[in-house]
Amino acid sequence: MRLHEYEAEKIFSKYGINIPLGGLAKTPQEAKQIAESIDVPVVLKSQVLVGGRGKAGGVKIVDNLDEVDIVADKMLKTELKGYKPEGLLVLKKVDIKKEIYLGITIDRTSGTPIIMISTEGGINIEEVSRKNPEKIFKFSVNPLQNLYPYQVISIVKKIGLTGEPLVETVNIIVKLYKVFREYDGLIAEINPLVLTEEGKVLCVDAVLEIDDSALFRHPELNKRKLDAMSERDKRLMKKGATFVKLNGNIGLVCSGAGLAMATMDMISDYPALSPANFLETGGGITSDLMVDCMELVLEQPKLDAIFINLYGGINPIHEGAKGIAKVIRERKLNIPIVAKALGNRQEETWETLEEVGVHIIKESESQKAVEFLAKLLGVKAK
Amino acid sequence: MSILIDKNTKVLVQGITGNIGTTQTRYMLEEGTNIVAGVTPGKGGLKVENVPVFDTVEEAVNNFPIDVSLLFVPARVAKDSVLEAIDAGIKTVVLITEHTPVHDVMEMKAYALQKNAILIGPTTPGIITPGECKIGILPANMFCQGQVGIISRSGTLAYEVAANLCAIGIGQSTVVGMGADRVTGTNLVDILKLFNQDKDTKVVVIVGEVGGTQEEDTAEFIRKEMSKPVVAYIAGTSVPPGKRMGHAGAIIEGGKGSAKSKIESLLASDVKIANRLYEIPSLVKELIS
Repeated sequence: MRLHEYEAEKIFSKYGINIPLGGLAKTPQEAKQIAESIDVPVVLKSQVLVGGRGKAGGVKIVDNLDEVDIVADKMLKTELKGYKPEGLLVLKKVDIKKEIYLGITIDRTSGTPIIMISTEGGINIEEVSRKNPEKIFKFSVNPLQNLYPYQVISIVKKIGLTGEPLVETVNIIVKLYKVFREYDGLIAEINPLVLTEEGKVLCVDAVLEIDDSALFRHPELNKRKLDAMSERDKRLMKKGATFVKLNGNIGLVCSGAGLAMATMDMISDYPALSPANFLETGGGITSDLMVDCMELVLEQPKLDAIFINLYGGINPIHEGAKGIAKVIRERKLNIPIVAKALGNRQEETWETLEEVGVHIIKESESQKAVEFLAKLLGVKAK
Repeated sequence: MSILIDKNTKVLVQGITGNIGTTQTRYMLEEGTNIVAGVTPGKGGLKVENVPVFDTVEEAVNNFPIDVSLLFVPARVAKDSVLEAIDAGIKTVVLITEHTPVHDVMEMKAYALQKNAILIGPTTPGIITPGECKIGILPANMFCQGQVGIISRSGTLAYEVAANLCAIGIGQSTVVGMGADRVTGTNLVDILKLFNQDKDTKVVVIVGEVGGTQEEDTAEFIRKEMSKPVVAYIAGTSVPPGKRMGHAGAIIEGGKGSAKSKIESLLASDVKIANRLYEIPSLVKELIS
């Protein structure tokens, strides 16, 4: 779950990281009031959860107080990459002496938190990581210990800071790490961290993404996430299923993300076929879960067929089959459905599905099932 | 021979009294797995499928020699249960549980490393040495005995690859599900090293997927030290990249992590690449004969 910038700033600020003066505005009038209280120049930042916001026109500097509401009005109405802003962050523009990238994330290979700091970058930080990785300084934290200031002072010295800003930046890293740990962060990032002409260090952009699996430890955030979800999505999430809408004509129901991806790869070999969705059931299949899965897939607009690929390891696929059959029967579906289902209690599964007209492929190769589907729809591989 | 587990392996099941724990214990016993005890706090004294249940791992290890602990516990207590097993001196821990908080996984991994224990998972289907021992949720009818080692990040893909090999008469020495989470207790390269030393494994199949840099990291080991042929398949070549969240993930991977990057680095290490799942059996067949 990624938080909005204004939410992340609020949390960072609670942990003692300095942010510019300002606040969140939901209307042009509020934007103007905030600007009046902190004085121009101000930066207006669209609160949208998309990357590349600045490049897409979601950040504007306003020097004239009379223009704040006009610019704010326009920005509030402008969708960025298809998303309507939740509001505008109105912040006092700071005089930048030096910009620093500071990020904490998880190094998947070593399985440790990793702190990264650089004076290169800003919005091009990813390019720097590919072309000049030596300009990004890193420190791996032992997950069994706290982070102490002495551990990170040398990487901060490497980016050329001295004196008060050096000490202040070290303290910010320790505070940001505390946020990262206590909020179960996947990413905690300040880009840029700004050294001002007056020698202050300010967080000018805040990113905080939280591990969905840990939301049970953060009830207030969990509630916000749940409030924004439909009942069915909640049920799917509770059972550990993952759905991603795509744009094709083949509805997919697969047990396991790897199997789902492999199936999508095979389908993509047929130019006339493409997945309408990614749906991974997780390991909690029940009859009811499969009803939800089928109904979700059936909502996809351009369906020509449904392809089901299941394994019964932890999953009772014979139970899942009952849910699939129920939907087919109740909705009197006549869209072609091809299923491959193997593992524990496969025979019962086949029987349940065959009774409602599902084409069952009993071989182990998913490819055979995809070939069958293609033949059924009369399409050829490239 | 095999890696990690064989017919003599003695197994503890933590979370044995739950629905999944009980069902899967029955399936494992049917395959001949030597399950000596179970643990569920508060359920000590019960029996599940004739297996004695204890309140703590310590009590279980005081009563039985135990080589491996297998966990079917809720995600929110996974860390507690894994640390308990390691502290009781168990050297191999297999965590089936899905959706374990990644910060907990980082702690478990670091703790296992410190105590010289092997943690497989989370979100792993487990390990099977066909015909000898099955520890986890893998459906045994998908596997058969032989000389191919399989390491898979995805559970269900491991089943499919094994079944496709069996269909042309090629069996497996051991199949290890690594787990599909952001952080896994044991990395691909660690398992590959075990297969490299196992005299009965002739060919290794790596079933990877997009994300992370495990396959890239493995490529270096293969180039320098691997003495056996390796076949690899990477799932997700057609998957559109997800919504980007901040830069930190991309910076750490430095342009790695895509299917293309993985395939290129594996090819550079002389690994045979299967572009689609169905190409795996014929590639393995060529290498094994």
